[in-house]
Order: sequence, then structure tokens, then C-alpha cells
Amino acid sequence: MSYLDLSIEEIHKALVAKQVLPSELVSEAYDRAQKYQKDLNAFVSFRIQALKEAQNLDGKEITNPLFGIPYAMKDNYSVKGELSTGSSNILKDYYPVYDATVVKKLKEAGAVSIGKTVLDELGLGGTGTNGNTGVVKNPWAIERISGGSSAGSAAAVSAGIVPFAIGSDTGDSVRKPAAYCGCVGFKPSWGRISRFGLFPFATSLDHVAYFTRTVKDAAYLLENLAGKDPKDMTCSIKPVEQYVEKLNPELKGKKLAIIKSINESLGNPLVRTNFEQVLLKLKEAGVEIIEEDIDMRLLKAIYPIYMVISSSEATSNNANLDGIKFGPREKGTDFLDSIIKTRTVGFSELVKRRFVFGGYCLAKENQKELLLRAQKIRRLIVNEVQRILAKCEAIFLPATGSIAPKFTEKNDEKLSVAYLIGENHLAIGNFAGLPSLTLPSGFVDGLPVGVNIMGKAFEEQEVLNISLGIETLLARYKGQIAKRGGE
Amino acid sequence: MVLTIEELKKITKSLLFTMSEEQYLTLQQEFTLILEQMKLLGAIENLDQVEPLVFPIENENCGLREDEVEKCLSVDEVLKNAKESMMDMVKVQKVVG
Amino acid sequence: MNYETIIGIEIHCELKTKTKMFSSAPNSFAAQPNTQVSPVDMAFPGTLPTVNKKAVEYAIMASTALGLTIDDTLIFDRKNYFYSDLPKGYQITQQQRPIGRDGSLEITIGGQKKTIRIERLHMEEDTAKQLHFNDYTLIDYNRCGVPLIEIVSHPDIRSGEEAAAYVEKLRSILLYTGVSDVKMEEGSMRCDVNVSLRPEGSKKFGVKTEIKNLNSIANVRRAVDYEVERQKQILLSGGKISPETRRFDETSKQTVLMRKKTSAVDYKYFTEPNIVPIHLSADWIKKIKDNLPELPDARKERYRQMGLNDYDAEVLVVDKDFSDFFEEVVVVCQQPKLAANWMISSVQAVLNKLGTSDLGSLKFGPAQLGQLIKMLDVGKVSSKQAKELFEDLVLTGKDPELLAKEKNMVQISDDKQILAWVKEVLEKNPQAIETYKNGRTNILGFLVGQVLKLSQGKANPALVSQLLKEEIEK
Repeated sequence: MSYLDLSIEEIHKALVAKQVLPSELVSEAYDRAQKYQKDLNAFVSFRIQALKEAQNLDGKEITNPLFGIPYAMKDNYSVKGELSTGSSNILKDYYPVYDATVVKKLKEAGAVSIGKTVLDELGLGGTGTNGNTGVVKNPWAIERISGGSSAGSAAAVSAGIVPFAIGSDTGDSVRKPAAYCGCVGFKPSWGRISRFGLFPFATSLDHVAYFTRTVKDAAYLLENLAGKDPKDMTCSIKPVEQYVEKLNPELKGKKLAIIKSINESLGNPLVRTNFEQVLLKLKEAGVEIIEEDIDMRLLKAIYPIYMVISSSEATSNNANLDGIKFGPREKGTDFLDSIIKTRTVGFSELVKRRFVFGGYCLAKENQKELLLRAQKIRRLIVNEVQRILAKCEAIFLPATGSIAPKFTEKNDEKLSVAYLIGENHLAIGNFAGLPSLTLPSGFVDGLPVGVNIMGKAFEEQEVLNISLGIETLLARYKGQIAKRGGE
Repeated sequence: MVLTIEELKKITKSLLFTMSEEQYLTLQQEFTLILEQMKLLGAIENLDQVEPLVFPIENENCGLREDEVEKCLSVDEVLKNAKESMMDMVKVQKVVG
Repeated sequence: MNYETIIGIEIHCELKTKTKMFSSAPNSFAAQPNTQVSPVDMAFPGTLPTVNKKAVEYAIMASTALGLTIDDTLIFDRKNYFYSDLPKGYQITQQQRPIGRDGSLEITIGGQKKTIRIERLHMEEDTAKQLHFNDYTLIDYNRCGVPLIEIVSHPDIRSGEEAAAYVEKLRSILLYTGVSDVKMEEGSMRCDVNVSLRPEGSKKFGVKTEIKNLNSIANVRRAVDYEVERQKQILLSGGKISPETRRFDETSKQTVLMRKKTSAVDYKYFTEPNIVPIHLSADWIKKIKDNLPELPDARKERYRQMGLNDYDAEVLVVDKDFSDFFEEVVVVCQQPKLAANWMISSVQAVLNKLGTSDLGSLKFGPAQLGQLIKMLDVGKVSSKQAKELFEDLVLTGKDPELLAKEKNMVQISDDKQILAWVKEVLEKNPQAIETYKNGRTNILGFLVGQVLKLSQGKANPALVSQLLKEEIEK
């Protein structure tokens, strides 16, 4: 066993006690990343300079729990002077001239990035199969997906390559892969962490989010990443709390709401069973479970709303990708033709299909029936969520309705409740901008499953506390690492 | 409801990219499915009085920015990622219209 | 068939802020391309807009000056389209909730006042600059993101003359607020005019053409006049107007086709999700309104109170620098009417000759002109001398007192000295006294001339005349 397999908290203790050096940790993480790249394909690029950077940290004063800790970064964050591709051909040679705010914060904290991880191209996707450098495999079973869009980051943490990895969450892009990969995935409130430097997918749904292997680690990260940023007008000026110090796992007396129709929509009955088992344990621990429900018509509208809003905003957000200022540029018969060729070659078919739908929704003649309608129903759903949250500390949800599907599995049931609700309900956390955390809750057919806690806006402490309580209760899944093929 | 290939081509044209004939067929099929899903939006009534939700969180932000100059990019940084430049400007094929 | 001309005008003004509308890059004249660019202006992936407080303040000032109602919720939209000068592939503007709505301004045409209604004023960002060559184009992003206000009039304007008057008045008002340099020739104020004709009495609007990038007020009038004529000829010969974008060619003094307008472009407007709506406090808005600088109409009224006539007051306020100059002249000489005359005729003539409206190009300053006028007013120099001194002032910029001394030009108003000359002239011209006493009093002019001759032109003529009369009547 290596220090790298521990939580941030434990590694930090070891660093302080000089039992291990940053250079040793980073070097090992880098080696592991190389070793598993063939099997998992989690990384787009590696930072060889990480080794030297870590050496420079050896012997220096440890100022921060993240100091000297290796991590991985989803490749849709702008890193100055380093390849940042969005897993898209249209950015395959793009070297930004500025750092994203979270990149800056992590640098300042002394954390060391060992590389950029694979995502579904430009964030559009939920399987980890649509990045331009190939599919990402689930460390628990490489014939299965790790989920997406933050596929590589999920795999990197769950395979034990790094103790934490940064992703982004627009519909469930961190919280679902976290369930599929058996680790913790946390999406704080909209505006809690600055989005400056995050390649935008759908602005009103995008969140900076991340993976860890323990809930407390998620608290450490939040303290370091949260905070106001004048460069992002949607970023909150609320003070950053002392999330770690105030952690309290006491579950007794807590009120958690469950949403009946969501639970009944899960496609895999064993996943449902796991959820019910955790529910039972919660009740035994003194949690009051409040049974609530939301109208099925609203729940079935979740996925269409998500599609309309995210496609519309994505189409506009990616209109800057034209090969003129950056990115590969194709030659054309004239200027316009050059852009058309660039965008035709640069975007994958799947991304183009989403853009076409986005363009369709934004068209003047369709906006009322599609975009405006979706935004109105979004409000109705958020109202319902707020209504329920008024009665409890948080809403307790299954993270998914399934285990990670095999690459060969086809889903033809896109109009079924199991798909529409069972696989997409986490998006309500994006609709409402609420803090939402997935943690591992067991195994079904040998694959991880998870549960999700969604709290009130800017009540990250409550969500972390309840999550810590559940993690303590479930105990055995805390900090788990996937067995690497053959090991 | 089915969107014609022509209608789909009009949209890709406005977004400055093209797809192959085969891809348009796949797109058309997908559209049919998506529009079926969109009917679920149509199933909800009485939306006239409902305000659209654009921002999940409001009123938490830093407000307007003070009008103070901050260091900007060097010419090199501006041009670094552009494939062609000339006389410190980004160079493109002749723009008409 | 008589046609009515319908004109609507859209004006874009660059705001004089230190930084750009949505980024902290500098907003100033730059000699070197791409030296005033932030990652936000370049639309690098992941960059986000931040709203310039000063730009909002200026937009509120301009709106107030034009009588527009302020919307106290600040909200922006995306106007989506592709063009080489628009890095993001969309422009951030205000489509649904412009910061100012429903105002107006007054123009005076042929002595008659007319109100032109203003529909809206909104904020948006400028695009990059392009240099077109034979087979390539170069792009300079310095201008990208510069704050603009767009002011849209209702189609209340009915002629080239009115159009020019509207632009001139609007420019004048904005210049007084200090929010923009509004220099048409430099591009800090851009004027697009929409022109259409309809048969007199008809309520339906005709097809309109748009004339873009007019760079002077005079050209606004010329362009409109030409376009009206052009459209009239087409309609009278049974033809149809095609919707077009045209430009004004200065050499031929004609509007020329730039491009035909195809079916209306769909800009896919939607609310900008990166800028949460900001509630502007009533206190802040009130403070801005209360601190608005004096506007032309108010200044004109103040000049009327000073005793100036309507025409002079109107002329003086059009150009703020000119008007400021005038006021400094008045501070020194305390004679508004005199000062007004000197400004409107003499100073303006000099500027016309120099081919500029820039008062900085004059060699003299307002204090000196004021000094000259004072000298004239108290009788230190005659009006003939004053004219001569003014010529010298224009050429040399020297103090009039100094110039007068050098030229030995001080007008003599010394009673004793003049009386001596008067007596001398009367002694030499006894028959003139007889003529005067016989009722032909205009012989006085001859006598005054004689005294002036004696004094080598230096005697104060009014005083001479007065003393002559006194002596004769003794």
C-alpha cells in the first residue's frame, strides 16, 4: 500500500510528519497514470514538468492541506501555456495564455497537476465515449463506460491514480460518473466556485465540480476552490466557510426527503434495492425520512428541458470556435468557406447534432415553444424542489438507475421513464443550482452504485455533514479504489 | 413531426458547418426522437403566468466592475494561437461583405 | 403623386470610459494593433464578461439627457451571428430591456420647433477593426469590446434638413454630457439612416433602404436628399424599392449600393446567462441624474437670461467648446452681447478660414479676446482699432493691451485733451457752427472727422461728438 492510496487528509498528515515527500507522491501518481493509460485511456496529456515542480516543493513549508498533492484536471479548463483541448479536434493544438481561476487556486495551494483528463467532447455527453482521443474505461470493469462527461477524472480517482480530480457538472457530469466509478463526486451551488476559465457548455447549468474518495476531502477542496471572483459575474460573494472544521457527521434528528416517483423510475431493481437498504440504515440512525413526490409530467420533462437549454446555450457558447484566433484552421475557397471547413472537420458528429438541435431551439419561430417553455417548466420544477427542501435539511436520491453500462449495450428506450427520470433526475440539481453530492453506497453485480444528497443553496456544510454521516454509516466503501486489471 | 433534410441543412448552414448525407439521415432520425421527447414539454399546461427561469441563483454576485485598467495581453499572446498573422494582426482569407 | 419621406436614424457612440464594456482592457486610442486586448476580448474559451460600471453610468447620463426613462434592472442579451470582426460569434447587447426608453429631443427648422421621439438607448460592445487587402484581411482586436450606446429614433424625421438637425442636436447634447467625444469623422459617433417614401396620406410604410457610415452632418443631409430623390424617381417610373444597404460616396455625392438585404436575419436573441440581472439602486440613479452637466437647452436659456437673443443663444450652444470659450470671454469683459457678436462673426470667421472647429488651433485664448472687448467697451480703443487689434491677435496671440501699446493705438478719452482739439476745430470752422445752428445738424459728422484727424484717429468719437455739441450749443 502506498501513501497515494490514502485520502488527502491522510496524505497531508504524512507529508507534515515527513513520512513522504511531494516529489515521491507526484512521481508515483505520474507513473500510475502512465501505467493505466492503455487500459483506461483517462488522460489527454501528461505534465512531465509536474515532477520538477514537486521536487521544488520538497522541504518547503506545508501551508495548505492540498500542498504537494498530485491531482488531475478535466481538459476543459484553461491552463496557461499548456495544451487545453476540450477533447475536441477543434482545439487540438490550443495553448491558452491565461489560467482558469481554479487552476490558479490549486497552484497557489501547492497542489500539483499530473495531467489533463479525457471528457466527452466540449462537455457534451454522458458516457465518456465521445472524446477525440478515444473512450474512457471504467476502472472496475474495463468493458464498461466510466460515465461522462468528466470521464477521465472519474477514472483517475477511482483507479487510485490521484486522490482528487477536477471535473465539471452540467446535468450530472461529475455526480453520475462518481456513482459508476464508486467515488465521491461533489457539485457545489451555482456560483460557489468561479467558472472563469472553464470552457462553457451550458452557462446556466455549468458548475465546477470534482471527485475525491472521501467526503472530508471534498470539504478540503471546497475551502480551497470556493470564493468570490471579480472575473465571473455569476460567482457568489458569500464568504467561504470553514467547511472542514465544522464537519459534523451526526445524523440523528436530520430530516431527509425522498421523491417517490424518482425512486420508482429506476431501471435496475437491484440499484433500487441498494437505495432502499441505505434508507433503512438512515432510519435506524435516527434520520426522519419524509416521503414527498413531484408530478410525473414535471419529472418526465427534466430530460427535454435539459436538452433544450443545454443545446441552445452550447450552440451559442461554441460559436467562438472558428479557427481564426486559435485552433486548427482549414483553408477554403474564401474566408467563410475556411470557417465552414474548420468547423466541419473540428466537431464530431454527435456534437454537431446537438448544435443543430440548439440552433433549432434558438430559432425565432421555435423559441416560444421550446426555449421559453423549457425555462418556464424549469421554474416549476425548481419551485417543487424548493417546496420540498423547506421541509427538510436535504433531499436524498439514488445517483443513477443503473450500473455502468457496457460499451456494447444499446439504449433504445429513450422515451421510457427509466431513462427519462431514472437516468436524468440529477439535472434538477443544475436547474436549481443546489449543492449536490454523490457518494458510493455499495455494489450491484460487482459494479459500484451511489446515493446523492442535494441541499439548499449555499448550504454546502449541511450537504457535507449529512454525506459524512452516511459515509461513516456505510463505512466499507469509504476511500475505495478499483482493483486494477490483474491486480 | 419530421424535419426535412433541407430544413436541417439550413440550420447547419447558419451554424457554419456541414454534415455528410449519411449523417443528415441519422440526424433526421434523432430529431424525430427528440421532438417526441419535446412533446413532454407540451404536456404541461397553464404556463402563461410562469416566469422563465434563466439564472439558477441571482443576487449573490459582485455587481458592476470599477472602470480601472488592468494589464492586458502582449501582442505575442494575442497572436500566439492564430495560424497566420501579419504586421501584428491576425491574418485571414479575404473577407467579403 | 406626392410622396412623404419617412426617416429613422440609428446612432452608435463610443463611450469615453477608461476600460472596455465587458473587460478591463484599456479603451483609448492605440497606435499599435492588438496592444489593448484582454483574453475576454479575444473570446478565448472560458473567458467571461464583466460589466463596466462607468459605462452604465454614462448610459444613464445619456438617457437622462435625452429624456428617456431608465430601466432600473440591468440585463443583457446575446445577438448571435458570425462575422470576422466578432470573435465570440455573438455580440452582447440589450435587446429586450434597453437601459433607456421613450424619450425625445427638439429640433428647430425654419424657426419652427419639432419634437423627434427617441425609441431606445441601449449598451453594447464594439467589434474588431479589419483591414482588407486584395486577397487577405487583417484583424486588429483593439476596438473589440469598446463600450457603445446605440440610440434609435422613431421614424419621425421627414427631410434631409431635419435629419441633419436631429444628428446635430443629438451630438450636441451628448457632447455636453461628456460621455463621448462624438466625433463623426473619427468614428466615435456613427450614423445610420433609414429612408423610405410613402404616398402622401398613406398610413403604410414603404420599403426602406439603410445608408450606413455617414461621417459628417453635412453628408447626412446630402445623403438623405439624394436618396429621397433616387427613390422618388424609381417610384414615379412605376418601379419598386429594394431593401438595400447603401453608403454615401462623397465624390459623386450619391448613395451607392453596398449590399442587398436578403430575408431578415434571425439573430436568435436570448438572455445573456453570464451576467445576472443587476438591480440599479434608485439612489445611484438619482445621484447620476442630479450631477448631470448643463445641457445645451439649459445653457441656451441661461444665455437668454443674460440678454442674448434667441438666434445668438442657439448658435452659441451648438458646439460646447465654442460655448465654453464664449463664457470665459464674458468672465473677463462682462459684456455678453458684445462677446456673442465677436464670437459669432469674428471668431467663427477665423475658424472657417482655418477649416476647423477646434478652438485649440487659435493662437489666442478667451481671456485675451475678453480683454480686447473690454478695451473697446470702456473706450480705450475705437471699433476700427479693435478690428485691427483682432487681426493682430489672430496672427500673433499677443495680449491686446500689449499690441495696442506697440501700435500706439490707445484711444484718447481724456476730456481735457479732446476739448482742446474740439475748440481748435471749431475756431478753424466758424461757418460749420453757423450751418449747425441753422438746423443742419449732420454737419457734426464733418466736425467729428476733423477732430479725429487732429488726434490721428485716436480720439474717442462718441466723446468728441458729445463735446462738440456742448461747445456749439454754448
